[in-house]
Amino acid sequence: MRETEGGPYRVTFEFPDGEVRTVPAAGGEYVLAAGRRGGLELPSRCEVGWDMACAVRVLAGELDHSDARRYYDADRKAGFALICRARPLSDLRLRTHQARAMRDFRLAHHLPAPRGV
Amino acid sequence: MTTAKPHATGAVAPGDIERKVGVEMLRQRGINVEELIEKLIDNAAAEFASTYYYYSILRMYLAGHEDYKEICEDARLEDRQHYELILPRIYELGGSLPYSLHEFADRAGCPAAYLPGTDNGQHPPAEPPPAAEILTVLLEAERCAIRSWQEICDITTGKDPRTYDLAARILNEEIEHEAWFVELLAMERDGKVKPSGHFRRGAPGEAPYSRNRAFHHGGAGN
Repeated sequence: MRETEGGPYRVTFEFPDGEVRTVPAAGGEYVLAAGRRGGLELPSRCEVGWDMACAVRVLAGELDHSDARRYYDADRKAGFALICRARPLSDLRLRTHQARAMRDFRLAHHLPAPRGV
Repeated sequence: MTTAKPHATGAVAPGDIERKVGVEMLRQRGINVEELIEKLIDNAAAEFASTYYYYSILRMYLAGHEDYKEICEDARLEDRQHYELILPRIYELGGSLPYSLHEFADRAGCPAAYLPGTDNGQHPPAEPPPAAEILTVLLEAERCAIRSWQEICDITTGKDPRTYDLAARILNEEIEHEAWFVELLAMERDGKVKPSGHFRRGAPGEAPYSRNRAFHHGGAGN
């Protein structure tokens, strides 16, 4: 975890089954790590911000993706985040399990993406 | 009285070359074959493009650490073996490699194992990267591979014994690779002993679980 200014933040996850859970996250902590520390089961695979298994839709808030291996400005503008390598810059509200939506977005915009997510 | 024989059911007519019983059986058992094919291609791309290719470069920069270099070479050759092992299954299931190597590399399920100090492969390193940094790249590449092949095992267990068998053989070796790099990194970086419990391969890239058939003379499989 990196020491950064700000935080702790409140990160709220909306799951596909309607469950909503909120966990605290330090400013320098990856959001996925914060979720796991809070007892949440969240999907992931590469864990370096590459394969989109951990993709979420950002409903509110800002994240720092400077550690992600493959994250495009177009992803950010479309509201996607890779939480395995994203740090909170504010309180967040996220919709989980967006890997396929992000894959479809990438492919529609001719950006690299694994197809089997 | 009739007895259910799920293995004897299906809709592939005699002489039909458009469908395969070996694929339809999977559909009957709930496998999404098209999705499975996509995952296998992503994994094949990771074995070939993200690891085999980039491990070649990492290995070249381990000079002076001959033990690390030998183990990196084992992992490199075995990852290539994994690509060779899974490739026929992609086509059996009705899939195909992308017709562009660029597209193939772009869809890899794991990131390229770039040499540290190259800004993700943009230029040669200004100084030889520390061995600990190279070992860290190798370790994380193996961990991504474990997650990827475990996913294939999870999807196919009890339904698609052929893909499961191939994925499990690959997974066995990826787990060993992780243990190797944990052991080496623990000592190199932290001065700690974390034994892998393994001894060196009998031959470079021996691939004791995933060896299918030899693909080079004088090496594993001959």
